[in-house]
Amino acid sequence: MFRNQAQKLMKKFTLGNVVQKCIAPLSVSAVKCREVIDRREMLRSLPSVDEGTAGEKAVDVDSLIGHKNVFPTLDLPNRLFNGIPFKDLPIFNIRVSPNNTIISFTDAKGVPNLNRSCGVEGFKNAKKGTNVAAQATALTIGTKVLERGIKTVRVRVRGLGPGRMAAIKGLQMSGLDIVSITDSTRVSWNPPRPRKQKKL
Amino acid sequence: MRHPSFIARTVLVHNNDVEAACRILNRILGREDILDQFRRTRFFEKPFQFRRRINFERCKAIYNEDMDRKIQFVLRKNRTDPFPGCS
Repeated sequence: MFRNQAQKLMKKFTLGNVVQKCIAPLSVSAVKCREVIDRREMLRSLPSVDEGTAGEKAVDVDSLIGHKNVFPTLDLPNRLFNGIPFKDLPIFNIRVSPNNTIISFTDAKGVPNLNRSCGVEGFKNAKKGTNVAAQATALTIGTKVLERGIKTVRVRVRGLGPGRMAAIKGLQMSGLDIVSITDSTRVSWNPPRPRKQKKL
Repeated sequence: MRHPSFIARTVLVHNNDVEAACRILNRILGREDILDQFRRTRFFEKPFQFRRRINFERCKAIYNEDMDRKIQFVLRKNRTDPFPGCS
């Protein structure tokens, strides 16, 4: 209707034809949202997402030869680190997801003392799920723990995401002495049915 | 049975070299198919995808087996002439 009225108005003026030409394409509105010809090509050209799993695909034949006592033994729980047996060392739990990193500090029994996440740290929305955010968060909570007089800790990581490596590195940068790194990602070979795939 | 925590999937850090420890851990997790399984179970794998993946893995395993045999043949050591065709 609006278009008709506009056309009528336009005809009254001498410039009507010119303006009509300008208006016509607007009202047709055959605007395509996006040209998606080669999405696969585009996705392939994008840089791969950092999941904090550096060295996953590495094929080092003899890299373990130089490292002795890397893996835990049965006497590990009672071995002393800085005068504290391993089983009594406080724990850093790092929960990593693609969109956030949550770090919590617990004592040896698993009672939480401190919590910190990238969102609390001041990173909002998409910035939460970056390695920079994770590192900053880890630095903050690490210094807080250091102020309490705790220096030796063990680290438990869960999940994959950009913050996986960055958080551990941040803890180390804050001056903590990390004794061990444990992966506790929950993996099942017969899980309940997961959510449906995202449409691309 | 649950694996005892801080014994399973654990690496010790030496000389404060966190990155090396992480790399060892990640490599083992990758080799043991744990990370792949984790990624695979984020979203439901439709039956046709499952079939295609299994078939692909089967073909790959057969190819790898043959290729290994070939490599072992080329690299075999107890030959009468250690460098055949080079004299």
